[in-house]
Amino acid sequence: MKGVDGQALPRLSAADYFVQTWGVLVAAYRELNARKLFWVALVLNGLVIAAMAAVGVDEKGVSVFGFELPIPLVNTTTYPDGKLYKFIFVGLGVGIWLAWLSTILALLSTASMFPDLASGGVDTMLSKPIGRTRLFVTKFISGLLFTALQVTVFSLLAFLVIGIRGGSWEWGLFVVVPLMVVFFSYLFSVQAVVGMITRSPIASVIVTLLFWIFVFLVDAGERFTMVGVISSRLEIAGIEARMEKVEDEERKSGFTKRRDERLETLPNWELAHGIFYAVKTALPKTSETAGLTTRALALTTEMPVDDEEQQVDEQERRRRGLFRSEFVSPRKLEAAINQEYESRNVWWVVGTSLGFVAVMLGVGAWYFRRRDF
Amino acid sequence: MVADASQTSERADSLAIDLVDVTKMYAGRVHALQGVSMQVGRGEIFGLLGPNGAGKSTLVKIMTTIVRPTTATGTILGAPIGHRPTLARIGYLPEHHRFPQYLTGRQCVEFFGAMNLMRRADRKRRAAEMLEVVGMKSWGDRRVGTYSKGMQQRTGLAAALVNDPQLVILDEPTDGVDPVGRREIRDLLIRMRDEGRTVFLNSHLLSEVELVCDRVAIMLKGKVERQGSLYELTHESRRWKITVEGAMPAWVAEFGAPTVERGRASVEFKTEDLAWVQSCIDRLRAEGVMIVGITETRESLEDLFMRLVRDVDGRVAAVGAGNVNTTMRGAR
Repeated sequence: MKGVDGQALPRLSAADYFVQTWGVLVAAYRELNARKLFWVALVLNGLVIAAMAAVGVDEKGVSVFGFELPIPLVNTTTYPDGKLYKFIFVGLGVGIWLAWLSTILALLSTASMFPDLASGGVDTMLSKPIGRTRLFVTKFISGLLFTALQVTVFSLLAFLVIGIRGGSWEWGLFVVVPLMVVFFSYLFSVQAVVGMITRSPIASVIVTLLFWIFVFLVDAGERFTMVGVISSRLEIAGIEARMEKVEDEERKSGFTKRRDERLETLPNWELAHGIFYAVKTALPKTSETAGLTTRALALTTEMPVDDEEQQVDEQERRRRGLFRSEFVSPRKLEAAINQEYESRNVWWVVGTSLGFVAVMLGVGAWYFRRRDF
Repeated sequence: MVADASQTSERADSLAIDLVDVTKMYAGRVHALQGVSMQVGRGEIFGLLGPNGAGKSTLVKIMTTIVRPTTATGTILGAPIGHRPTLARIGYLPEHHRFPQYLTGRQCVEFFGAMNLMRRADRKRRAAEMLEVVGMKSWGDRRVGTYSKGMQQRTGLAAALVNDPQLVILDEPTDGVDPVGRREIRDLLIRMRDEGRTVFLNSHLLSEVELVCDRVAIMLKGKVERQGSLYELTHESRRWKITVEGAMPAWVAEFGAPTVERGRASVEFKTEDLAWVQSCIDRLRAEGVMIVGITETRESLEDLFMRLVRDVDGRVAAVGAGNVNTTMRGAR
């Protein structure tokens, strides 16, 4: 670009960009520090970890605050090397605390960030040499600080507890920091756009929570139809395996009839699953992203099976009048579902979700660029 | 061509703001600006006046990229409007600014220094200097949320000046500031001009503008109605009023009808010729008439403003002669 005198005008350098971006991030950190919710969440982090640390496991079993709990098959033999603590970390720490409660606190804490940006307070900022798109995106990144700081503290404490109490120094659990930041970014992108358009913190939180419920329902629908597909396929495979060994024609036709019944319903399940899967592909995959922690820590949810559970399975099979070959036990089904989830490419899970975030940020930045203040 | 380029360059060197045909149409077909052209020289204090809804704030916001113009050509500090690195050379204090309440005054000023691309050491030094200049040094480490309106305004001024700007755009800078503070801000504006900076002042306070501005523009209904120095805008209304003890000689009547009040007669002349006024005085003295006052009167900025508002509104175009600017009482 040239000035009126024909001379080339100066341009912003990378160092200039850094100075501004760092300035916004420092201000965002100060903003978080000033919010009570940030400290409340930090204290709750400590309590969750304290609860985890209160659990003891030895060769006899499990205890909490020294009181032994009657949980069969859970001891250092079945859960060696701090595996129980890792389960608690993934199940309670990530699955419930970080993926739900802490996320809601983060959404509440950052709710006013974009309405503030879209209201009168932005005048001074916009008059500075920072592009609106960059300002929007930098503000978005600074909003992720809440989760990044909280999860870092949480992971560090969990790392110490698992190391000290479980004797296993699990560096891999720090993968939860980027994963949960990415997880939060899915929802925060919606909150940012709604906050920018409505300029209302309350509206942005409500719409984001409704969106989260929608995502959850789509995920549940996808899982439900996946169960239909997988169980049908397992049943068909079981029946066909059995058919090969049966000589008697009458019994064979009985198997054929049952197989055909399942073959008839399988396309419907597959169609329904295909639809849910397509919708889910376009949406952020919150549950699966949180579930990536399990993969990263190489934890399987396969529990040891005791006789009692086997008896329950047998009763269920008889109640349904199924042959052993066509009966799919809940554990077998669960294992197959887990296998299906784990077979999904991480880049499909995170990449398509970040694609959603990019689209939302694009919409938000476009709106921000076009608005007069 | 060479001559054209040279002229353009000279123009850029002499003008801090050179706006040509700036228009802004808001949604709902609200025509906020209807072809505004405005020139502000470097190193002057320029006042922008206008009633509410005249388009002043829209114009200021277009200059600072807060509002996108419908059409606009022109330059600011020699660069096209919106050129980002040039924005780092501009200081801006918006009218209803709302600074982050969780920051201290010092952090706030430093934050805007960072936004203006200032490096850490520079912005820390300048923030301390500017807080002292605006009288906020002792309050600098308290949160902005605890400040009064006037203190926030002072902090805003410090934030606007932290980048050592060549052009300072201030929207109602004395809003909420006490009289002492107003005086200090006025002195600061004059000091900035003396340092060679350009100050663009958007204010409703006509008296304030009149006190510090070298040139003003009056905007009405999205257009610049008048633009120029205070002298240029008001000299047409300049008159000389001579007051004498007792009655005026008869010959005076041919220049204007004398008025009599409390035993003193006065007559007003509209002339640019000071020699003629002198000869008139000489003739009166030669006739032994006791002159008790010679006053130069002209329209005040407020009178001019009100007249233009009335004219544009289609009301009575009443010209009210203003009050004294220069008085020579008791001249004999």
